[in-house]
Amino acid sequence: MSPSDYICLLPLIILALASVIVMLVIVAKGSHKTIQFVSLALFALAFASLFPEAVPLPHAVPPLLLMDRFGAFVIALILLSGGVVCLLSYLYFEGKEEGPKEYYLLLFLCSLGGGILAISQHFISFFLGLEILTIALYALIAYLKSRPKAIEAGIKYLVLAAFSSAFLLMGMALIYMEVGNMSFAGMSGAIRDAPSLPPLFLAGLTMLLVGVGFKLAVVPFHMWAADVYQGAPIPVTALIATVSKAGVLAVLIRLFLALEVLSFPRAALGIGLLAVASILVGNILALQQKNIKRLLAYSSIAHLGYMLVGFVPGTRQSFESLSFYLVSYILATLTAFGIIACRSSKSEESELLKDYQGLFWSHPKEALILTISMLSLAGIPLTAGFTGKFYLLLATLEPDYWALAFVLVLGSAVGLYYYLRVITTLFGSYPIQENTPSLPVTSFYILCLSLIGMLAILTIVLGIFPSPLIEYIRGIWIS
Amino acid sequence: MNTPDNIESILLLAALLFCIGMAGVMIRKNILFMLLSVEVMLNASGLAFIAAGAYWGQPDGQVMFLFILAMAAAEVSIGLALILQIYHLHRSLDIDKIKEMNG
Repeated sequence: MSPSDYICLLPLIILALASVIVMLVIVAKGSHKTIQFVSLALFALAFASLFPEAVPLPHAVPPLLLMDRFGAFVIALILLSGGVVCLLSYLYFEGKEEGPKEYYLLLFLCSLGGGILAISQHFISFFLGLEILTIALYALIAYLKSRPKAIEAGIKYLVLAAFSSAFLLMGMALIYMEVGNMSFAGMSGAIRDAPSLPPLFLAGLTMLLVGVGFKLAVVPFHMWAADVYQGAPIPVTALIATVSKAGVLAVLIRLFLALEVLSFPRAALGIGLLAVASILVGNILALQQKNIKRLLAYSSIAHLGYMLVGFVPGTRQSFESLSFYLVSYILATLTAFGIIACRSSKSEESELLKDYQGLFWSHPKEALILTISMLSLAGIPLTAGFTGKFYLLLATLEPDYWALAFVLVLGSAVGLYYYLRVITTLFGSYPIQENTPSLPVTSFYILCLSLIGMLAILTIVLGIFPSPLIEYIRGIWIS
Repeated sequence: MNTPDNIESILLLAALLFCIGMAGVMIRKNILFMLLSVEVMLNASGLAFIAAGAYWGQPDGQVMFLFILAMAAAEVSIGLALILQIYHLHRSLDIDKIKEMNG
């Protein structure tokens, strides 16, 4: 490897070293606060090293990795989510029954896996990145190991994720059998001239999609999502909803673009069906949820459906809108989970919708931030979610895809109902019984709240002035 | 490396093992056996990789198998730790008995 390779992979190298550094700090008996500050500094350092001046992008590190502007963009999103989750974790884990120190190590490993996925261009780096991500997640989900729900969520995720990994691997093996090459570019050379996809390749691609579908929790592979979202600690739930989805989506986009799979009608139809099923089922199941974590789980299934809609046309414009939607989804999701984490006490998570009854009258700031995030997820104008949905709709407005556009609008209309129900709960009448102890306001609480508030403001700014981000994303996809 | 002639039968064996594992995950109610069945599925895909690598005369398939082994080991170690904890909490490994969340 040349020096420029190291410079361009520096963010990932920092993340890998960070887990070792955290281990050393634990050995040196650093306090929770020390570890928190070291972790935040390391996330900031990785972020700062992301856009190197010395190395022009795209820069390939053959044969496994390719750092281009899209990869840097997704890694930036992953590091942002990782940093926010890291800050929330202090508030959440301080005073919990489990020592929180090793948690940060796993957090870095998770971000590292997501980062590898975002720049992988080979089956081996795809597999390794995915497994670094998921194996760290198993431990994170079951981190509070004396709580039966966390353990149940952990074992469910473990069995289903391993099951889906087996599908993914079998799919990769079949594709490798057919084309004799495991790098995305090499595979595309082997199938480019084929009039239709060879049967073995098609079987492999289907199994690979089953595996990836499990990780993204799209319908019909969604059954784990609600239980895992509910059982996992809140910061970890936020991590599943952002880092793991962004990484897996990025590698899927890379694979599909390299193979030009979407020019084959059968493959495009399959993705379209997954998208339609996810939008409809996710939104309908979310309607009757009384637990806000489960509600967000089903809503994330629907949002992944919206993003899969962006795959189907396979044009540059559709991938641009997909990237914008990813940003708006991650911002809104982080904000929502941030408020839930802030509202939770040491022993109990405030996850039921009735815990939020009349929150506006007692905690107006928190309620307003949660409202903004819900509005953005619902796709109300003047939020980033609306702009994202608008661009997705524009990309599908072609004669062939009218059905997709219709389902997109229908799903958003259904979604409006349950997002607005959360908002009406927030602004509803204040409950009579006054036995909820008020949470102590620490400096970390204020720090977290102001960070989440900034994310919420960013959501609105992107809704009103989306053009800088759109220009930036357009620049990514032109190169 | 010389290419094996009976590549189809090796693939067929891998597919068979994969289906046995899949049936095990779906039918078994004991978590330990579900974990074992997942291992069978992972090894079936490893076998398919080795067959494909041998077919093309490349070492890549075996490299991938080594990674699969490492991943399976990491996963089993976490899985067994979770299973111990489940047994500690519930005195049972039946997947239906430990179920608390639904909806």
